Amino acid sequence: MIQVENLRKSFNTVIALDGVGFTAPDGHVTGLIGPNGAGKTTALRIIYTVMRPDSGTATVDGLNTVHDRRQVQKRIGVLPDSRGLYPRLTAREHVRYYGRLHGLNGAGLEGRIDELIGILGMEEFADRRAGGFSKGQVRKVALARALVHRPQNLLLDEPTNGLDIASSRAVHALIREIRDQGRCVLFCSHIMQEVAAICDSIVVISKGRVAARGTPGELLELTGKEDLEEMFLAVTGGASGSGEQ
Amino acid sequence: MWRRVYIVFAKEVMDNARDRRSLLVALIYPMLGPALLGVMISMVSSVLSAGNSENRMDLHVAGAANGPQLTAYLESRNIAIRPAGGDPELAVKNGQAEVVLIIPDDFSRRFDEKRTAEIKIIADSSRLPGLFALNRLAGVLGEFNRQVWEKRLSVLGVDFMGLRPLDIHSVNVAAGISAIDILMFMVPPLIIFNIFMGGVYLAIDTTSGERERGSLEPLLINPVERWGLMLGKFLAALLFTGVAVAVQLAAFKAIFDMMGSPGSSFVNSLDARAVAGIMVSALPLMMLAVGVQFIIATVTRSFKEAQTYLGLLPLVPAMPGLVLVFSPVEAEGWMMTIPTFSQTLLFGQFVRGEAVSMLNVAISTSATTLVALVLVAIAAGLYEREKLIFGG
Repeated sequence: MIQVENLRKSFNTVIALDGVGFTAPDGHVTGLIGPNGAGKTTALRIIYTVMRPDSGTATVDGLNTVHDRRQVQKRIGVLPDSRGLYPRLTAREHVRYYGRLHGLNGAGLEGRIDELIGILGMEEFADRRAGGFSKGQVRKVALARALVHRPQNLLLDEPTNGLDIASSRAVHALIREIRDQGRCVLFCSHIMQEVAAICDSIVVISKGRVAARGTPGELLELTGKEDLEEMFLAVTGGASGSGEQ
Repeated sequence: MWRRVYIVFAKEVMDNARDRRSLLVALIYPMLGPALLGVMISMVSSVLSAGNSENRMDLHVAGAANGPQLTAYLESRNIAIRPAGGDPELAVKNGQAEVVLIIPDDFSRRFDEKRTAEIKIIADSSRLPGLFALNRLAGVLGEFNRQVWEKRLSVLGVDFMGLRPLDIHSVNVAAGISAIDILMFMVPPLIIFNIFMGGVYLAIDTTSGERERGSLEPLLINPVERWGLMLGKFLAALLFTGVAVAVQLAAFKAIFDMMGSPGSSFVNSLDARAVAGIMVSALPLMMLAVGVQFIIATVTRSFKEAQTYLGLLPLVPAMPGLVLVFSPVEAEGWMMTIPTFSQTLLFGQFVRGEAVSMLNVAISTSATTLVALVLVAIAAGLYEREKLIFGG
């Protein structure tokens, strides 16, 4: 479970987060949506420990992301916005590297890598070097290395961006499966169709604050709109911030 | 934690062993210095052999038949007389002959009449071999002059020695050391340059490069202390630097064995003891070099920016060594506290096979290690910063 309370963070004079708070419970897919520069990536970065908040707290399974950084890192799997690969390593070696950094090894690790290659449909390029990978192949490798240690909490920043329909569906199925195992999924996306399809609840962030939250049905009802895109524009006022780094 | 440091280290070594650029810097670049030195040695030795009276020197002479007395004397001084071709001046200008001696038609007649006989030397003093040859020829002709002079004066009953106010004996303190050995002073700066060059590509690739590829941020989310990530990468860069230095020393040894004439100090230089001594005293400097590289690669925003700074870096520490090539100094204790300078002096002593004070090695090693540890700590501190994922 991920809990965020009153997070504030600014970069020089730009306020990226201005008191953001939300909860992403276990067994739930929570969608984090907002215009460009609303502060989504900054909030995620604080949760996945690469940034410290100016004030407020973020906890993962009750562990503080600043004080218990190492413990939090063991409990999260992250597909960040920047998800570059090493061009001279094969897909399999990428997943193995992260698995080993998480303390896995031997037959257990190799078995898990094979399993992920199967789930994500990576058989064709698993042993090729990442240098010439397509956007979709890069995304799959990044997703596989985020999942290798079977994290209790999964943070995904636009996981299907650049994937074809079949691969997107495979990822959606995977996310649902992870949720059904009672794990927590926090999910950032710009594709409202996708948000509607897989999110159990939605948190709308705008200008560094939580503009609205609830299930897709609740949000539609609240704004009186017919689809999530309209709801999104109504809640954010069509805003596009500039605070995100 | 150490297991994870090793995992990062092993990954970076494997990754960069597949990189042509990293391998080029670690395995091929180090050979360029020794190769350059080899070319210089062979050039200088060919030049020097022309000036060495023990070696036979070819002299192109126009009109050799006009002065049999003179050519006979020259031949007795280990100079081989060769006929000069068409235009002597052109031949010298074009480098076909070092010097040309012209003996005019009336030489023998004037000489036998005990009058001043004229000869002409064509030389190009702007070329080193020409200068050496001219110098040698002038010396031999001076001797000939004196001998004839002495002979003619003694016939008149004059004491020749009384007419010689100065009897010059010059003593060359470089006795036993051939001029080529001066080139040995080039070895330390080349090693220092290589130390600051060997792991540079890896340092940039694993920090600025990793950030630019977008692989740094996901890496930082793994349950590894940031100093541990930095240390793994640092050790990988250190290994590549060590390999580069080892390759360079092997190349120097090969060049010396190839170029050194028997009796020259080259052949015996860089024995196992010297190589071990150089590696031991170089290790702290390698740590220092890689530490500086990591600091620069961490604070610069891009691969290119890092490359710009780090490309120039090796010149700075190699500078004292280059100065020492022209004005050598005696190693003293306080000098051993200065990183790069102390290694320059120690490498020089090891290469020339001189006695090396173990105290000096100890001072140099501990002083440089101390500085290196401070730099590594600074680099580790920079890894802790939030800004790491953005650079700057």
